[in-house]
Amino acid sequence: MVAPDTPTSRVALIGNPNTGKSTLFAALVGVRQHVANYPGVTVEKKTGWMTCDGRRCELIDLPGLYSLAARSRDEMVAVDVLLGRQDGAGPPDAVLAIVDACNLQRNFYLLSQVLEMGLPTVLAVNMSDLAAGRGIVLDIVGLAQRLGVGVVAVQANRGVGVAQLKTALAEAIRQGPLRPPDLWPAAFEQEVTRLEETLAGGGAKPPAAQAALPRCLVRRLLLDTDGYVQRALLPDADGRVARELRAGRQRLAEAGCPVPAVETAVRYDWARSVLEGVLAEPGHYRMTATDRIDRWLTHRLWGTLVFALVMFLVFQAVFVGAQPARWGIDWATGRLAGWITASLPEGALRSLLAEGVVGGVGSVLGFLPQILILFFFIALLEDCGYMARAAYLMDRLMSRVGLSGRSFIPMLSSFACAVPGIMAARVIANERDRLTTIAVIPLLTCAARLQVYALLIAAFIPGTSWLGGLVGLQGLVLAALYALGIATAVAAALVLKRTILRGRTPPFLLELPSYKWPSARTVAHRVAERGWIFLHAAGTLILAVAVVVWAAAYYPHDRRAVAPLLGQQGELQTRLAALGPEDPGRQEGLEELARLQNQIAAVYQRNSFLGQLGRTIEPVVKPLGWDWRIGCCVLASLPAREIVIATLGVVYGAGKDAGGQSAEAAGRLQSWLQAATWEGTDRPVFTLPVALSLLVFYALCMQCAATLAVIRRETNSWRWPIFVFGYMTVLAYVAALVTYQAGAYWTG
Amino acid sequence: MHHPRSIPLEELQTGQRARISRIAGHPDHVHRLEEFGLRGGTRIEMFRPGNPCILRVGGNKVCLRADELLEVQVLLLPPGE
Repeated sequence: MVAPDTPTSRVALIGNPNTGKSTLFAALVGVRQHVANYPGVTVEKKTGWMTCDGRRCELIDLPGLYSLAARSRDEMVAVDVLLGRQDGAGPPDAVLAIVDACNLQRNFYLLSQVLEMGLPTVLAVNMSDLAAGRGIVLDIVGLAQRLGVGVVAVQANRGVGVAQLKTALAEAIRQGPLRPPDLWPAAFEQEVTRLEETLAGGGAKPPAAQAALPRCLVRRLLLDTDGYVQRALLPDADGRVARELRAGRQRLAEAGCPVPAVETAVRYDWARSVLEGVLAEPGHYRMTATDRIDRWLTHRLWGTLVFALVMFLVFQAVFVGAQPARWGIDWATGRLAGWITASLPEGALRSLLAEGVVGGVGSVLGFLPQILILFFFIALLEDCGYMARAAYLMDRLMSRVGLSGRSFIPMLSSFACAVPGIMAARVIANERDRLTTIAVIPLLTCAARLQVYALLIAAFIPGTSWLGGLVGLQGLVLAALYALGIATAVAAALVLKRTILRGRTPPFLLELPSYKWPSARTVAHRVAERGWIFLHAAGTLILAVAVVVWAAAYYPHDRRAVAPLLGQQGELQTRLAALGPEDPGRQEGLEELARLQNQIAAVYQRNSFLGQLGRTIEPVVKPLGWDWRIGCCVLASLPAREIVIATLGVVYGAGKDAGGQSAEAAGRLQSWLQAATWEGTDRPVFTLPVALSLLVFYALCMQCAATLAVIRRETNSWRWPIFVFGYMTVLAYVAALVTYQAGAYWTG
Repeated sequence: MHHPRSIPLEELQTGQRARISRIAGHPDHVHRLEEFGLRGGTRIEMFRPGNPCILRVGGNKVCLRADELLEVQVLLLPPGE
């Protein structure tokens, strides 16, 4: 791609959230962006290429930050990239810092931390048009002189200033390292030197071993009272370092430099002195259009109403809008499976392709429409600035559960599907809140659960109604199942926040950016990004689970067990072939053939590993009122809970197409289930308590490989998916047990 | 310690302007607020009172939810200023 003689460089892009950083990134590198995670953490790494004065530059988009304090994973990643501790690639050749012209003081706090790194730096002052409109006057040339770095006024959304920025970057790279500004009082610097000596002399070596810590990181060690930096940089440090740090901070407090307050004082003083004389702000800020809109949109009543309406539309779009696409995918995979069945000889390969692979790919693709639709709306709302208002409005409610307003939208979208909901949880800045949200989201009733509910409720809950049909028992049961999911999620969140995820909750801080028209390019980018991440990260795992479950349900595939049935089938097929197309006996023969084929499938399934396992675990599921066949269906629906519908159809001898969409097929499955009896008796399997226990089980269980795969991807560890699977399965089992036992006692 | 006209942030009414006089609480949380741009001396205007509240800071708006452990004291500014 890159000619060997073209010099290449790496440039890191850094700035506060809501400064237009992503827009500038897109304006600089164009559409070819590469998105991945930083190794070892779930922080998005976006990179792209640009050409600056003939020099090929890789631009790395760092997370939006207020500080390089290295308390959170985002901050630590940014520090690591700037210090060249990521990928072992060395520090970047230049830093592009973007600041919001309307909020220079605060933006300069981060800038002072960036300049301290001593890397060649260029400053992009964004939204200069908006600032001018508010009466803010900035002397760009004067500022460049004060800072000693290139400063360019840009309007990222219109591409204004982008060319000058590239020239300034090339110039900065040519000039080489920067002299960091002198910020710190002598007493503080003394303490830093002292600490450097201690670290050099002591046994605590930084993990990179070869080099001593850069001075700016030694400062961070002193400033970071949380100990995060120490744990990350000096994991092997003995108690001596911690003691030394405490003693150092004590001395600093006595010298009038209390940690951490000294940092903000020093940096804001620097910002004031740099901006004095080059920045003129109006004495009074007039109400803007954004303020006028916010009068309505953050209003307790009107704002909440608008929010409810917006959420209803989003939810409806995800729930209903994804249906046609889903049917399309179902239809296409059905056709493909049919074609494979028709063109391959019967055997393991045909079954693997038609049922395992095509079924697996179908279920992966089936999630895609919901993900794309949800992220279309999220990107739209985020880009126009509404998302922060939504978080504000919902914060009061969510803070009662120990979470913040940021958790609301991921949770709400999980009523359609947990997969995009978990992916949307990335907006939650607080790590403990994010993990709590991810861990309880799978309890909320998704569209797949609704399919299972619909089938079982229609078949087993009496259609009793009161108040002239206004209130029906079936509807009440459905509402109760939704409520069960919500109540359990709330309880689980409260328990998690008080146990494994407890900790001091930092104050909830949120910027409400100015409203703007969303950019089609930004929205399209985010949607495509999410879709790709899902296919790439979760798709392979879902497919693998589908194939494993297929194998368990297929093998050992002993033909001897079905030999008599196969004989009958052969005879019937010969007889049918002899009949003319108009023969009255033909229809009957075809039905007979379908029945036989189902019977064969059921016998195979019974003898499969899955069937054997189902019978082995019968003692475990019997207290829930289930026979081995239900246990078997529940096991088979491990990859996706809605599979249970099709499996019930096969196991209880109904037509295989009973899982399809037609009302007739569903009715047939219901009657089959109603007629099912315990093997060797005429005692019905599905009594009311059994149906209820199965419903409660599905309300709480974690039968979804896609969700587990996405939790794995979003938490970057197997611990969380295993934990979520474990706690939900235990909850589901216990709740189903209680339901059945209570129900059996009640009905005698 | 307290300035005679110093009041807690929660008592600020819609449209009232003030200057932050003191933020008290856990040092790390105070630090976070300061990094976010809310610090002693910052001029604010109450846009939506309550908890969380919305403040105008300069030409921008921010939302803040503080718990009982974080106390923000402000000095009320006369309406004309």
